[in-house]
Amino acid sequence: MNPDETLLAVDGLGITFVNGNTRVEATSDIGFAIAPGERVGIVGESGCGKTITGLSLLGLLPPATTIVAGTAMFEGENLIGLPMSRMRHVRGRKISMIFQEPMSALDPVFTIGQQIGETIRTHFSATKAEARERAVAALESVGIPSPERVHDSYPHQLSGGMRQRAMIAIALVCEPRLLIADEPTTALDVTIQAQIIDLLLAQSARSGTALLFITHDLGVVAETCTRMLTMYAGEIVEDAPVDSALVRPRHPYTSGLLRSLPRLSARGAVLPSIAGRVPDLRDMPRGCRFAERCGHRRAECAQAQVLEEADGHRVRCWRQSELVLPGALTEREAAA
Amino acid sequence: MSGAIVTVEDLRIHFPTQDRRETVKAVDGISFSVQPGETFGVIGESGSGKSTLGRAVVCLLKPTGGRVLHGDIDPYALPAAALRQRRRAFQIIFQDPNASLNPRMSMLDSIREPLDIAGGGSRAERDAIALEMLERVGLSADFAGRYPHELSGGQKQRINIARVLTVRPRLIVCDEVVAALDVSIRADILNLFADLQRDFGLTYLFITHDLGVVSHVSSRIAVMYLGRFMELGTAEDLAERPLHPYTQALLSAEPIPLPAAMRRDRRIILQGEIPSPTDPPSGCRFRTRCPYAQEICATSDPTWREAAPGRFVACHFAGDVTGHPVTNQPHKEAIA
Repeated sequence: MNPDETLLAVDGLGITFVNGNTRVEATSDIGFAIAPGERVGIVGESGCGKTITGLSLLGLLPPATTIVAGTAMFEGENLIGLPMSRMRHVRGRKISMIFQEPMSALDPVFTIGQQIGETIRTHFSATKAEARERAVAALESVGIPSPERVHDSYPHQLSGGMRQRAMIAIALVCEPRLLIADEPTTALDVTIQAQIIDLLLAQSARSGTALLFITHDLGVVAETCTRMLTMYAGEIVEDAPVDSALVRPRHPYTSGLLRSLPRLSARGAVLPSIAGRVPDLRDMPRGCRFAERCGHRRAECAQAQVLEEADGHRVRCWRQSELVLPGALTEREAAA
Repeated sequence: MSGAIVTVEDLRIHFPTQDRRETVKAVDGISFSVQPGETFGVIGESGSGKSTLGRAVVCLLKPTGGRVLHGDIDPYALPAAALRQRRRAFQIIFQDPNASLNPRMSMLDSIREPLDIAGGGSRAERDAIALEMLERVGLSADFAGRYPHELSGGQKQRINIARVLTVRPRLIVCDEVVAALDVSIRADILNLFADLQRDFGLTYLFITHDLGVVSHVSSRIAVMYLGRFMELGTAEDLAERPLHPYTQALLSAEPIPLPAAMRRDRRIILQGEIPSPTDPPSGCRFRTRCPYAQEICATSDPTWREAAPGRFVACHFAGDVTGHPVTNQPHKEAIA
């Protein structure tokens, strides 16, 4: 990839949790790149490492109990191990993050306005009046009715959807180059989720902010992202354009996830599922981590493999060139 | 309807607010019946009153008005002991598999507990039933001595299913039973529910916010909004020909994992949020967010009418509206 077109280049990112003498490698060899304005989704089930990957980029993992290896190059700086004095200029200004539960991400004892103002005044020299004007404008831009009133409200006075809008206003007030959104719509109702997705897409288009969208919901990824990284047991197993991954996934795990969705099965029919469980972090197989649950397992799967590129997909599977796996289409849709 | 396992007649469940000045009308005039062996789905957003409805059906909440009949018996007309006996056949499983298990009880003890309370049989007989149910939900006898923290979310939900089965219920209210589970585990649990329904002749009241799940498992679906049913019909009818504007909006808001070119290009983005159940809007409760709302909707409460055999709807314009509201934003153009 042309370095001019890369906003963030993550390479060999691995996160190890340390507890006394025990070490647990939670993710390893995470590598991907995001272009300016690009919308990339990370999908995977609980415990696959998608959230800590997002947190590690902003230095938000507790340093006493985590070791982060690898690099994440952003505007000529490595975010991994970046001194706190530098990181402060990145957080909120260049890269922002929003979370699943806006109530726990907002400070309950400050008004929404104070919390937006804090971000503005950290990164720009602004008087209180200027900060207020900008904060109200930011609240208005995320579709909050009566932004003046919300500016002076406390988080508990707002609904879940309004809180998430306020979080987005805080995250985007400095027009960052990258927004990391960790399950931002999971706690919301489907009609409110649709509003928030539209808002994120519109804001991303308006300010050219790239999105790293962490979610377990394949429908949300399909509607928000152009590229999708599938994670399993601490590794990226597939990195592909969303539409292509949905139609013809190259990794058996991506395919298994898509096939287990109820919409693909006739009403009341048995849903395909992925047998078995994710391996224990403390006892990770040396070879393919999905092999134990994979219907396409062969002898070679006992050996570790790397992400290999073919047809625009980067895939961690020995058999990717020979397997033709079903995606998220029903038979009728696939035939059309 | 005769032969129904549960009949709900103009059910109302109201709660006073904390300061006792207002009344939350969580369920406010609902009538339906559930036939033996069917899966009756209830879909709605948070605050719609769907969980309150589920609790009322299993006599965990006493109706403020109207009544719930188990068969043709009003359980609240019975003496307390007979009520306890009676409602044993009507069980409920909740969303959070952790919260419903005592962390200090072994799995065998948890599963046997309902039988211990019901009385009857020796301890050895009750243990035997508990072990049988453990096996029936797909867990080996090894699990009997384990504690909740040793189990995954999916396994804990299996334990919760096993423990209600011990008392041989006729109907189980499933309140968001798969919402906390990962996609691949969800498929397994939904398959298990289907198996058990066949083997034990169970009837389900399946409460969820997930359209994909509800339309896969249900024979009939009711759409709930602000304490009322908006629409009721077979799963096929509802998914393919939704009559109520709220149903249409819900269906269109569901993110679908399909490539952009294959997704429906029109989404109905509802404005605003669900109003407070202490002060529902006059007339039709959905009118404040309805893209078709007219004057009559504010002045007159639409009647719950049978639009076609077995197909009920509460909307002045149901059948005239087709899912093409004027306020509609073309989704894909918005992000281009």
